[in-house]
Order: sequence, then C-alpha cells, then structure tokens
Amino acid sequence: MKRVSSRSKIADQVFLVATGLCASSPILFLLVITGIVVVQSIPSIRLMGWDFLTSVTWNMGSTYGAMTVKNGVPVPAGASYGALPFIVGTLASSVIALLIAVPISLLTAMILAYRVRGVVKSALSIVVELLAGIPSVVIGLWGIVVLAPWVSSSLGPLLTHVGWVIPFFSGPVGTGMGLLTSGLVLALMVVPIITATTRDLLEQVPILYREGGIALGMTSWEVVRLICLPYIKEGMIGAVALGWGRAMGETMAVLMVSGSAINYLPQNLYSPISTMAAVIADQLDSAMTDASHMAVHALSELALVLLVLTLLTNLVARLLVNRSRGTRRAGMGVKAG
Amino acid sequence: MSQSISVENLRAWYGDHLTLKGITMELEANRATAIIGPSGCGKSTFIRCLNRLHETIPHGRVSGSIKLGDEDLYRMDPVDVRRVVGMVFQKANPFPTMSIFENVALGLRIGGVRSKAEIIERVEKSLRMAALWDEVKDRLREPATALSGGQQQRLCIARALAIEPEVLLMDEPTSALDPGSTLRVEELVQALKSSYTIVIVTHNMQQAARVADKTAFFLNGELIEYADTAIIFTKPSDKRTEDYVTGRFG
Repeated sequence: MKRVSSRSKIADQVFLVATGLCASSPILFLLVITGIVVVQSIPSIRLMGWDFLTSVTWNMGSTYGAMTVKNGVPVPAGASYGALPFIVGTLASSVIALLIAVPISLLTAMILAYRVRGVVKSALSIVVELLAGIPSVVIGLWGIVVLAPWVSSSLGPLLTHVGWVIPFFSGPVGTGMGLLTSGLVLALMVVPIITATTRDLLEQVPILYREGGIALGMTSWEVVRLICLPYIKEGMIGAVALGWGRAMGETMAVLMVSGSAINYLPQNLYSPISTMAAVIADQLDSAMTDASHMAVHALSELALVLLVLTLLTNLVARLLVNRSRGTRRAGMGVKAG
Repeated sequence: MSQSISVENLRAWYGDHLTLKGITMELEANRATAIIGPSGCGKSTFIRCLNRLHETIPHGRVSGSIKLGDEDLYRMDPVDVRRVVGMVFQKANPFPTMSIFENVALGLRIGGVRSKAEIIERVEKSLRMAALWDEVKDRLREPATALSGGQQQRLCIARALAIEPEVLLMDEPTSALDPGSTLRVEELVQALKSSYTIVIVTHNMQQAARVADKTAFFLNGELIEYADTAIIFTKPSDKRTEDYVTGRFG
C-alpha cells in the first residue's frame, strides 16, 4: 500500500499546533491584559472603593513628601483619585460623536451601496477607507489648528442660540477646546468605521426584497427605511457598538483637543473635559514618580473601568444582535408545499 | 375597471446589449396574456419594462412608449406607475422582517391609508382574493417567512392586489413552486383576470395554455407571434413558434 510520507505528516502536526496557538492567542491576550489591569488596580480599589467612580477630585498628592497610610495602603499625602469627570467625559464625548457620526455614516453608506456606481463608487469607497487610516495625531493637530478655533468663533456662538431651549447648549463657548470639539474629532474618526460596515451590510440586502418594495410603488427612501434598514438592524447595532468602542478608547486626538479638565464636571457643551484614555496617556509619566505606585494603580483602575465599559457595550450589542437574530431564525424555516 | 396596455416600438438595453428589439403589441384589459419563449428571449425584461423596473438596475435603459389607456407610463413618475401596475416575482419575496399582516398592509400605509379599520378590511379582502385568508387568518402576526413557499407566493399576490392596481404582472410566478401550489396560483389567475389586466411570463407552455387568453411568443428580443392562445398552440403561423411549442427547441 502507498503511504503518505512522514514529512507531510509532520507538516500537518506543525500546522495543527501553529493554528491552535494562533487561534487561542486572542483569548489569551484578553485574559492576560485583563488580569494585569485587575491586579494593578487592586491597591487603588482598596484605597478608594466606590469613591473612585463617584468622586470628582483627582489629585496625585505630594509625590515627593512623606507617605500616609489610608485604608491599609500607603499613599502620598493628599492623594485622592476620583474618576467621575473622566468617565463622564468619555461617555459624553463618545455619545456626541455617535450622534453626529451615525446619521452621516448611514446616509453615506446608502449612497455608496445604492446610488453611485463604477468609478465614482470605488473612488468614494477608497476615500472613506483612507479617512480611517489617518493617524489620530494628525486629526488631533487639525482639531487644534482648525476645528477648535472654528468652534470657538463660529459653531459655538451659533449653537448657544439653542441654549434657551436646551440649557446644556448655552455658553460661554471659551477656547473651543472641550466637549463639543472632542465629539466632532471623534465623529470624524468613527464615521469611516460605521460607514464601511453599513455599506457592506446594505449591499447584502437581497435585490429580491428591494425590488419587491420598488414594485410596490415605494420611493427610494421608503425602500431603504422600510425594507433595507430593518433587514440590517442587527448588524447596524454591531457597527454602532464598534464605533462607540473606538470613540471611547481613542486617546491622542482627544487629548489634544479636550482641554484636559481635571476635578471638573462638564457644565455645558463647550466645557473642557478629559477622557479616561487621555488621562492615562497624559498622567502616566508623572504617575511613575510616585514612590508608593498608587498613582499608577489608580491609572490602572481607570484602564479597568474603560476596559469594562468597552467590553460591556460590545457585549450588550452582541446580545441585542443575537436576540433579534434568534427571533428571525425562528421564523426562517420554510416548509415545502 | 382595468385598461389595456399598448406597447409601441419598445427597446430595452443592458449597457450596450439590446435585449428587446422593438416590441409593438396590445395587451388587452380583463384578459390574461402569456409571454412565452426560451431563456434569454427578453420576456422577463419585457414585463419589467411595463412597471419601469428595468430602468432601476445598473445600465438598464429603455426607449419607445407604453400606454395604459391614454396615459404614457414613461411620462409618469415611476413610483405612480408601480402603484397601478403591480408585480409578482419569480421567487416569492415577502418582506422577511415583517408579519403576514404587515406585508399586505405596507402598500396601503405608504399609499396614505391611515384608518386602521380600513387597513384591516382591505388586508382581509386582499388575502381572500389571493385565496390565502383561511390559512393565515389565525396567524396574521407571525413572520411572513414562516409560511410555506406556495403560501409566500400567494402572500406576494395579496400584497400586490392590496393597493388595487389595474395591471398585474407575473414573472414566472410558479417556477419555484411544487405542482399543488402551482395549481392554486393558476386558479387564482383564472379568477383574477376578470378584474385585472394580467401579463404572465412563463416557461411552462401547459401553464400558458391553461391560464392565458392570448399568448405572445418571444425569441431573441423580438415578438415572433401574438395571437389567441388556442391558435398559438394549435396552428401557429410562424415556423419558429411551431418549433418552440412542439418542443423542438427551447
């Protein structure tokens, strides 16, 4: 009998081990990273308890002075780690980004999927994807040089007129570095992600259903709204969650235009803010000088909160997607006859 | 009261490819007209021109004129055209995200019917006309995709009828159905043709013989012969028609 050579058998073993290793690496990374962040956060959790989430005061204390012992852990005198402003800043700026980005992405995706064809379509698609590739520091620079002054001098004053309906919109506008500009910069960064995903989803809607709508006398807008969007609803939720995760985790661009507020909750749309990611990047350097390491632990806890928030949004989105998919699939069974 | 359709010198292109090469014919009111011919002869393209669906696909182009009564369909807003010229497709395509009821009611809603009672009444009427009411009346809230293939196709017919069109186009409506469901759809065509102008594209010559009053034979984008169904199948005047209906090609 002719046998498979031992060399190809060994190659197969190598292949199995290599794919196994690579395939298990995502879960390994997730566990290791989460583990390290959790372990690093423990001293800070012991020190601050729930106050970490509810307190407004963030102070590294006197890192060169004597240590005091608080709640059983040594900390620099006067140290207090209240992350509420950063949590609020992260959520507020990312939600503003989504409020701006989702409609823009949807409309762009509709145009890309159904309206333009040929060269125009590929050109537009490439531009959208290139937008996703701009380094965030470049976007941040543009934010400082162009966007913030424009918000300060034009957009902000215009929006303050809405202030007597929604108080949060009323001024003072200030330098333009703050919540609104951060939201705009983040919107710019998540638009390509949501657009590309939504375009792919819309292209997957079977022509059969779209023509069914057209043949019923629906306008293009009705076909998209009543047939295509319900069809891709699940995927859309996922796309938005993806964009939200990106917006919450974005660091550099926000750090550059946020106004780096500390110990301060945003009072209006133009208030300076800080996000968790930006604070970690901004303060890690000085935190390293803390001999008790408590500042690093506090930043780790900040990272933990950010991690939990992004995982949570992803998880909730996935649950929503699975639930609606479950009901759809239950009705999918087409019987013969 | 339905109206007849006069088609004059209708040409249709896919990009540079001329698919319909100048069709001129009269589709009579309150009659079922069958369009037969081998694959690629342009019969589907032809009925997709009648509700201006052909022009919605990439590179689809049409010239010539189609009149419904006195009105030129190609001078109307295409959305308005499709509300008087309904269509049933080759493969049943009920909207998968909607219930049985919603599938039929949707056309009424976008047509501006607001009264709930009127919608309920017209949905029932349409489902009865499509001979589906008895099978679905207790499960109107279930997803349309829970129905069998044949029921789905009848639901699509009900959906098309709900907006009270004058013309009903059927593009090989039974090609994906089993014989039992096919029979039910054919009975439906028989019953509906007294009140609609029906144009049915079919691959199945027996079906044309069973349901249609007149039959048109298409070949390579041209109308070869158009006459009473009995004549087409018994004494066609064109050799090519005879070859096709006797099964010598196609």
